[in-house]
Amino acid sequence: MQHMPSPPPLRRHFRQTRDRLATALITAGGIGVIAAVMAIGVFLAVEVVPLFWSSSGDAPRINMETLWLPQTYEGHQTPVHRWQPALSEGGGEPRFGMLPLVWGTLEAAVWALLIAVPLALGAAAHSALFMSRRLRARIRPTLELMEAMPGVVIGFVAGLVLAPWLDVHLAQGMTLLIVLPAGLLLAGRLWALLGSGLRRRLPMGWAALWLLPWLLLFWCLSSWLAPLLEAWWFGGDLRAWLEVSLGLDYTNRNAIIVGMAMGFAVVPSIYALAEDALSGVPKSLVEGAEALGATRWQTLWKVVLPAAGPGVLSAVMIGAGRAVGETMIVLMASGNTALMTASPLDGLRSMAASIAIELPEAAPGGTHYRLLLLAALLLFVFTFCVNTLAEVVRARLRRRYRRMEGLS
Amino acid sequence: MRAPWRRSSTRAARGEGPWAWLAAGSVAVSLALLAVLLGLLAVRGLGYFWPAEVSLVTLDNGQQLAGRAVKEAPLPGGDARERLYRTGNRDLDGAIWTWVGLDEIREESHPSDLVVLERRRWSAFIGRLEAIETGDAGRITGEEAWGALRQRLHSLDSRWAEIESLHHRTIQPLVRRLEAGAATPEEHEALTRAQARVRELQAGMPDDTLVLKTVDGRQLREPLIEVARALRPNNMDMLEKGRVWVQGVWSFLSEGPRAANTTGGVWPAIFGTILMVVLMSIFVTPFGVLAAVYLNEVAHQGRLTRWVRIGVRNLAGVPSIVYGVFGLGVFVYGIGGHLDDWFFASSLPSPTFGTGGLLWASLTLALLTLPVVIVATEEGLARIPESQREGALALGATRLEMLTRVVLPMAMPAMLTGVILAVARAAGEVAPLMLVGVAKLAPQVPVDGEFPFLHLERKFMHLGYHIFDAAFHSGDVQAAMPLIYATALLLVLVILVLNLTAIFLRHYLRSRHGTLSKY
Repeated sequence: MQHMPSPPPLRRHFRQTRDRLATALITAGGIGVIAAVMAIGVFLAVEVVPLFWSSSGDAPRINMETLWLPQTYEGHQTPVHRWQPALSEGGGEPRFGMLPLVWGTLEAAVWALLIAVPLALGAAAHSALFMSRRLRARIRPTLELMEAMPGVVIGFVAGLVLAPWLDVHLAQGMTLLIVLPAGLLLAGRLWALLGSGLRRRLPMGWAALWLLPWLLLFWCLSSWLAPLLEAWWFGGDLRAWLEVSLGLDYTNRNAIIVGMAMGFAVVPSIYALAEDALSGVPKSLVEGAEALGATRWQTLWKVVLPAAGPGVLSAVMIGAGRAVGETMIVLMASGNTALMTASPLDGLRSMAASIAIELPEAAPGGTHYRLLLLAALLLFVFTFCVNTLAEVVRARLRRRYRRMEGLS
Repeated sequence: MRAPWRRSSTRAARGEGPWAWLAAGSVAVSLALLAVLLGLLAVRGLGYFWPAEVSLVTLDNGQQLAGRAVKEAPLPGGDARERLYRTGNRDLDGAIWTWVGLDEIREESHPSDLVVLERRRWSAFIGRLEAIETGDAGRITGEEAWGALRQRLHSLDSRWAEIESLHHRTIQPLVRRLEAGAATPEEHEALTRAQARVRELQAGMPDDTLVLKTVDGRQLREPLIEVARALRPNNMDMLEKGRVWVQGVWSFLSEGPRAANTTGGVWPAIFGTILMVVLMSIFVTPFGVLAAVYLNEVAHQGRLTRWVRIGVRNLAGVPSIVYGVFGLGVFVYGIGGHLDDWFFASSLPSPTFGTGGLLWASLTLALLTLPVVIVATEEGLARIPESQREGALALGATRLEMLTRVVLPMAMPAMLTGVILAVARAAGEVAPLMLVGVAKLAPQVPVDGEFPFLHLERKFMHLGYHIFDAAFHSGDVQAAMPLIYATALLLVLVILVLNLTAIFLRHYLRSRHGTLSKY
């Protein structure tokens, strides 16, 4: 074998210098980029500090008390929470009570989670344990596409299509809540009675698809049933009944609409993470349970879920983080009224929507501007903490799975 | 992508109980919701361009109206329903909508002589064409009038196209130069020439007048040059309707918005979205790859790096509006304000870079999507087996050579996936843009023939914001709805295509490198 000539020292020196230089550049650039991304939190904190540090003469005084406790404003007898940063006419002092915004944000997120969590976890359980392999390979990317749906489109459909529809068809909407689950249970009963030939045609693994026409049938049933139910139980007018007997005034764009729209947006992210956690449970555990004669649902409930619990919890946390910060959906579907009521039929105003509406008009450096930055800081800290916690939980879970696999 | 075990016996399946079915149903419901949303957008968005039939409705009281049926709704209280017709003729009636109770309708027909005229200034006219008064051929009435109208409109098309292009290419840029006080005498002359040409073209248009009559007998005279398009939807066969549909889609994609964003096209918004996204990917790709390479290849893999990695990953979950706030505070008010003080002091009370604009918007979105690119690239880098790196180093390569010749080419599909995902995310984000530079209506596209060609300080239009604006800030939402549907469909299509590309790339990547995995 021929001996390779070693490169001349000058060239080697050049290559090494270049390498060192490049490494230094990459290091500097990498640290710089990461620092720039991390700077967001620092920027927000620095901008918010003057709010509490120095209240110069003419600016309205802001402290923890005026922000979070009810205040007696001009024209009010009792202390109230109010967010009215710019009074349109007549002037008067601006009212900076942040609590209505925080309330609106949390209310929207809670309703979104109430709708998204059962759907997403049910879907995750089904696709991790029951669904056929081929279908699952198609469903996952489909739901990923659902995640990519822009908020402005969901918000538009919620605010301008769903809200007017529900305005007219409130009774049908509520009937659906009863009829659809009933239809599913009926499907289960009927399926168990089927002959084995038919059952092979309609396997459980493909239930997600062949249930679709079945659900459509029950949709039609609900539109037929809704007026009857409304007449039986609510005297023919559900909204009048709500107003009279529960004191709930129906607003066109309300917390329920926001919850449904945002729930739709949050389902895919919860689903993906929960499904990962559930299907990542070591096979040996599942096979053990099956061998002992457990049904698949028993396996899920007694074996898979306890093992994957933290992962499922972290999926829900990530969903909560998304729901809290989502802007366009709340902005377009909620009516943006800064109320503090527990009624799901009232409007709300979230922090993110407030920022989007008010920040372009707020004078930079003013109290209003800094308060909106405080809202942004709260969003940032909340989502960052929740996501970090979720990430830590998931890392633990991965280690736990590895240990379990090692044991068996 | 594996099911944990094979489908088991019938016995187990038979006894699953109710919960399993509710779980199966939740997959079905999620799929149904997605299908309904996409179907709604597709049907309404594409149906917007279809020349639907125009009905002639005779009411019980003998009154007649002509319009396109839009929707039906139950009347409050009772079983009666009413139907909404889009009747046009805003200049005559003051409104373009008419609600009619279904029980009031005596007769509904579709006579073939009803015309729909799209006019430049007013909304559509729906009624009959009585006659056309021409300078050269006198008054043409009856069936020939329609033929003459079509022919004359056709011959006008090329003139309108020339006027349009003169406005865009010559007059507008020159007027801006003039306003800036930087126009040379030659440019003055060119402007005068162009304006004279426009006047000449306009003067050369025939001063024909259409005599129109609404179905309830009111007459209206309309100059021919006010008419953009004339249709007789009831007299068209499928093929012709199809042609009109294609034309409609094309003009939606290629024209600017009209009538306070409630009709017309979305070309400036498409252009603005694409330009902003392209700029963003130019910013985000090098920095994202740099950070990923640093984290994965250069940095000491210790506790600190792990925490940084978790931190970066979590920044992807920080709400986009927070990035918008950062962009406004740091880029617009901070850096932009200083740039104005230093370089654009002459025009100062009106800000140049100290207000939202293309540059700040794309930088903000670059920051927003940085975590996406970093995470995807890092995943790709982690998939490359250590042996490849060691082999390169053993052959005498320096670390830089190892990176540029071996590692980065292998990680290329992963980087591409990251960038595409970033683009898909950026294309759909609206909230941060509302703070850093999107405009309701930007008359000038940020690219033109005027130095420096790309105007980074200008505001721009965006598809997503166009949806929001048309939905919430237009006077007549009902009139804007079809346009919003079409725009939403376009936006969703763009994002779906981008995401599908990313999914296929990732799939390809996994099938190629799956076996090489590090773990």
